[in-house]
Amino acid sequence: MDGDRRGRRERFPYGLAHLGLGEVEREISPEEPPPLAANEGLRLIGKDTRRWDARAKVTGEARYTVDVDMAGMLHAAVLRSPFAHARILSIDLSAAENAPGVHAGIDLVGAAADRPPAVVRYVGQPVVALAAESRVLAEEALRLVEIDYQELPFVIDPEPAGRPDAPVVYDLSEVADAPSAGLPATPRAELLLGNVLGPGGEHESSDVTAALEQADTVVGGTYRTQVQTHCCMEPHAIVASWRKDCLDVWMSTQFIAGVRVELAEYFGIPLSRVRVRAAAIGGGFGSKSRLGLYGRAAAGLSRLARAPVRLVYRRDEEQIDSGNRSSSEQHLRIGANRDGTLAAISLVSYGNAGIAFGAGVGFIATGLYRCDRVAALHSDVFTHTAPSCAMRGPGNTQGAFALEQCIDELAERLGMDPLDLRDRIDQSTVRREERRLGAERIGWHRRSGPGRGAGPIKHGLGVAQSLWPALVQTNAACEVRLWRDGVVEVLSSVQDIGTGVGTTLAQVVAEELGLEPDQVRVRIGDTEYPSGPPSYGSRTTASITPPARTAAWRLQESLLRAVAAAWQVDAADLVLEQGRIRLRGDPDRRISWREAAATLRTDRISAVADRTDDYGGFRSRAGDAAVARGELGGVQFAEVEVDTETGFIRVQRVVAVQDCGRPINPRQVESQVQGGVLMGISYALLEERILDPRTGRVLNPNFVDYKLLGAGEVPEIDVILLENYQGLSASDAYGVAEPSNIPTAAAVANAVYNAIGVRIRSLPMTPATVLRALGSLSGEDR
Amino acid sequence: MEPFAWRQAVTPEDAAGYSTSTTARAMLTVAGMPDRQHVLIKAGGVDLLDLMKQGVAAPRCLVDISRIGELEGVSQAADGSVRIGALTTLAELAGSPLIRQNYPALSQAAAGAASPQIRNRATLGGNLLQRPRCWYFRSASYHCTRKGGAHCFAFEGDNRYHAVFGNHGCAIVHPSTPATPLVAYGGSVEMTDARGRRRQIALEDFFLLPEADLHRENSLAAQEILTAVHLPAHVGGRHASYLQVAEKAAFDWPLAAVAAVLDLDRTGRCRRANIILGAVAPVPWRSAAAETALGGSEITPEAARAAARAAVAGAAPLSRNGYKLSLVDALVRRAVLAAAGSDSAGPG
Amino acid sequence: MDVADQRTGERPEAAGLVGPGPVPVALRVNGELRRIAVEPRTTLAEALRGPLGLKGTKLACDHGACSACSVWLDGRVVASCSILAIEIGDREVTSIEGLASYGALHPVQEAFIAHDAVQCGFCTPGLVMSCAALLASNPRPGPDQVRAAISGHVCRCGTYPHVIRAMRSLAGPGGAGHGR
Repeated sequence: MDGDRRGRRERFPYGLAHLGLGEVEREISPEEPPPLAANEGLRLIGKDTRRWDARAKVTGEARYTVDVDMAGMLHAAVLRSPFAHARILSIDLSAAENAPGVHAGIDLVGAAADRPPAVVRYVGQPVVALAAESRVLAEEALRLVEIDYQELPFVIDPEPAGRPDAPVVYDLSEVADAPSAGLPATPRAELLLGNVLGPGGEHESSDVTAALEQADTVVGGTYRTQVQTHCCMEPHAIVASWRKDCLDVWMSTQFIAGVRVELAEYFGIPLSRVRVRAAAIGGGFGSKSRLGLYGRAAAGLSRLARAPVRLVYRRDEEQIDSGNRSSSEQHLRIGANRDGTLAAISLVSYGNAGIAFGAGVGFIATGLYRCDRVAALHSDVFTHTAPSCAMRGPGNTQGAFALEQCIDELAERLGMDPLDLRDRIDQSTVRREERRLGAERIGWHRRSGPGRGAGPIKHGLGVAQSLWPALVQTNAACEVRLWRDGVVEVLSSVQDIGTGVGTTLAQVVAEELGLEPDQVRVRIGDTEYPSGPPSYGSRTTASITPPARTAAWRLQESLLRAVAAAWQVDAADLVLEQGRIRLRGDPDRRISWREAAATLRTDRISAVADRTDDYGGFRSRAGDAAVARGELGGVQFAEVEVDTETGFIRVQRVVAVQDCGRPINPRQVESQVQGGVLMGISYALLEERILDPRTGRVLNPNFVDYKLLGAGEVPEIDVILLENYQGLSASDAYGVAEPSNIPTAAAVANAVYNAIGVRIRSLPMTPATVLRALGSLSGEDR
Repeated sequence: MEPFAWRQAVTPEDAAGYSTSTTARAMLTVAGMPDRQHVLIKAGGVDLLDLMKQGVAAPRCLVDISRIGELEGVSQAADGSVRIGALTTLAELAGSPLIRQNYPALSQAAAGAASPQIRNRATLGGNLLQRPRCWYFRSASYHCTRKGGAHCFAFEGDNRYHAVFGNHGCAIVHPSTPATPLVAYGGSVEMTDARGRRRQIALEDFFLLPEADLHRENSLAAQEILTAVHLPAHVGGRHASYLQVAEKAAFDWPLAAVAAVLDLDRTGRCRRANIILGAVAPVPWRSAAAETALGGSEITPEAARAAARAAVAGAAPLSRNGYKLSLVDALVRRAVLAAAGSDSAGPG
Repeated sequence: MDVADQRTGERPEAAGLVGPGPVPVALRVNGELRRIAVEPRTTLAEALRGPLGLKGTKLACDHGACSACSVWLDGRVVASCSILAIEIGDREVTSIEGLASYGALHPVQEAFIAHDAVQCGFCTPGLVMSCAALLASNPRPGPDQVRAAISGHVCRCGTYPHVIRAMRSLAGPGGAGHGR
């Protein structure tokens, strides 16, 4: 309930629809729309609907930031450090700035005579940016920049970096400058020793060691995950244009409203003087969440040059310096009682986020299963490598790989089926259902013991679970407009990075107004519209669909009042259904939507709604975001084939059972889940950012040697979507992007164990890795 | 790419005359800065454009041979030998009924190489002459031995994809997938120079080990154009197979490959075996020991295992590529059995 | 440019040497003859996205490794980032803009929309070109043939399953090929 307004009691559908829905009563504000029926009773919501921008994308008409041209636009290029660690004694831009076609130059490290020398800390760190009349001219001019580097010792591997004698990335006075890869936002400098920042832990329990000693059985191991890069198909791109005191920006970003705030703060101008737009966005996956140094550089260059500046990363820059999923080393031990209940979980983890911090992986180990004694002690280890940032399920994807394999191992030790063990220790009724449905679909009963079967080709089945918080951006608003000529628009600054949120909005508004989705014009991706949520954290749908519905509902009320006034009847006697308004009890008094709109006094009316608090409140809040009471889950089953002579793994089938509250567009959700699964398989089998051990350079900053899953790796993917109603908001809808990516590698790894009887504890599971685990012909050091 | 001038050649001799160097020689530099003096030949340009975009090749002029008609086409002579014009694309090669029928291992290797987009453009000549994929070689940041520097960075660096045989002084693997079966079939290459003088040399002899020449993979001379690849006539009793393992199912460089071409007599005994390994050495690597192990024998699983064991003997793995020996072992065994008609081969 | 013909000693201009500065190039693109002036080093992708004003063709890697920039050259799929504009000659270039005719979408485009084979869309034009080329040579492709036809593509969002489903829907029941 908001504020101190008197609420009204309403009943909402509750529970898993396929088991039969119950009801829950909530007290909600009078400003909130009536409860939305379960999908089965709705016309559009819950039905497959064509993506709003599919036509533009399949015809090539969709415009991305890389396609944006402006009159007089300049092109930027960035000079990057060739050294993993160096002091910059001087930078001379004069020759470069005077090169043909160059209009402006910026030093990005703040090298100045009166300050201590700037330090670069990874190969590829941006040092200088220039804007010129063409990209080619800008890059040629970069060769004229004179930089005096003093090379310093460096360390790129987290293991040696953690030793006391390692070359230090930050000293105590510098570590406050370290970028954050996620949570927390500021480093706890008091925990820094050498390159090790930590240990810190959200859950600490001193009884854990004792409990492990006393447990009936303990399983454990050391798990290692690799650095993965986002590989957005559209590289990072921004076009910045200053006009007098206004900044006009196009950006390939996951959060235009956030970028606007960052730009306004950085340049010290009011929010209202910054406009950020995103047309189509070619992927983000967490790497395009903030303005970034490149964003500030483009805007700064534009201001200096007094012309629009476009900055687009080349593919190698994209692979080197657009963020990455941090690597991890996890020492996990789980103690259990004979009946399977957990006695203690101890996780000691190290995250390598390069020069960034905040690479924790303990959330899933401490949150997925019931256990009274839990200790998750995490340390970040700094290395002279590019900073990590959030990537699709940050922390949990790495954590699931270790946790779910450990649980699998525990099940085997106890002689229990891995699903039966989870039934015992997992409190989530939703996941219980997901396990049951998925097991049935994949044919879990076919699973035999590990390593069975004659011949070198082995088959196996595995399972793993997902956990992600249900996040809500409370700073989210939506406007719905009705024009006198009958056109309906939904407006928000929310951006569609490929999830199809535009379609979702059209469906929600059309459902409320009795229209068809293609009768609702979707206007998003512009900060001139009410501020919408970011497209990260799997929170977009949960944040924007309630205000979209509420705004449509309020607009409907306004329209009914207008018609009531025109007809001189009571608005309560009017009904809006299927695009027509009629008077109760008088079949002859009915008009079309268009006719109704024509009764408006003004050209257009609009209703704006904010994302109000969840009914019954949130679990917690921080800034513009909150954690909802529910959580997002998911259970995935994988079936694999392993060639034990070559180490080649083929994933044959995945069954992904996911929940996202109320699915609004099942086919769109299915696309998202398939995408999460495929990215998870790619992470499990193929991807790795590879560094040259001697120089710290990225050896594979391209799509040839950084291996991405292609059509040949795609298994059969069965997506089962649960409808899970909780009555928490006007739409009760959530996201699924991260939950669908988190468990996949773990499910594949468990299936591989089932196939070959050897557990692979490091990623990626390439033929080389598998052969080594099997005891290959020639032992090799890696 | 650096700017360059452009010329369309009409005959191979003209093209040879206009060019000043092979790509390999042009990429050989003293200080690591790309050499801008040369005029280079461009066929499909798949590899050349990639090298130029990487900044390791920067010719001042390209001579385009891609429209020279006499370099196209697959034809069979009266004696049954086959001539494949150097401009034949991998797609044309894979789609040729003649090749598929008589040289199935070659057809298969060509069909599985790269992507449909690249197969539609990449010429067989260009594919044989392409430069190595070694990430140190391809990067302008490393002035490695092969480019005229003093150091091979792979030995102490990341050498997971590098050579386990013949890797003295340089650890590249030969990047051409079709080359492996071509050598197994006894193919040869034909070249012409600016004056129209032709020469032909066995493909196996055309490729050079680092110990023979650290700076180039083959003996193409400056101002020579590859004009055709020749294959001896198919003979009865010849059985062939091609198998490879890569990390990805498609559009990936093999980790290891084997082409087995066996001449079996009517009793099923092996008269002559050609076992050529791909992606494990700087040249398509003839495994003489494996061939000897099969000589005169029936191809049984035992014999295949013996051949496989022999194939990995004498390997010199580096710090990160020892796993390739397991792959060679499995592939040789499976390829030999597959060639002989057994059906115990695994996924390739 | 000082490249004297070593055989005949002819002056360069007489021997057809052009560039490195901009050179007039005539291209047949989407059925129209277009005349532009570009340097020899300009790729077809750059020419399409620049002077030809056809931005539907996308550049994701610029090295021929992802096929996002796929167009047709005489009806065959090629990576436009790996071809020079100057070498096209009289061959026919078809870009994504040339696929739909008179406002009607190509069946592949319709199928992609109907089966949600699109997410962020950046790789989509290239995928559509590959699938349309497949359909032109094989009206009833089986799943293995679809996979082979799109094997050069990188799609980070993971549209492959819906792309395969879209193409299967065009093949109708009993399409050729077997397998997944």
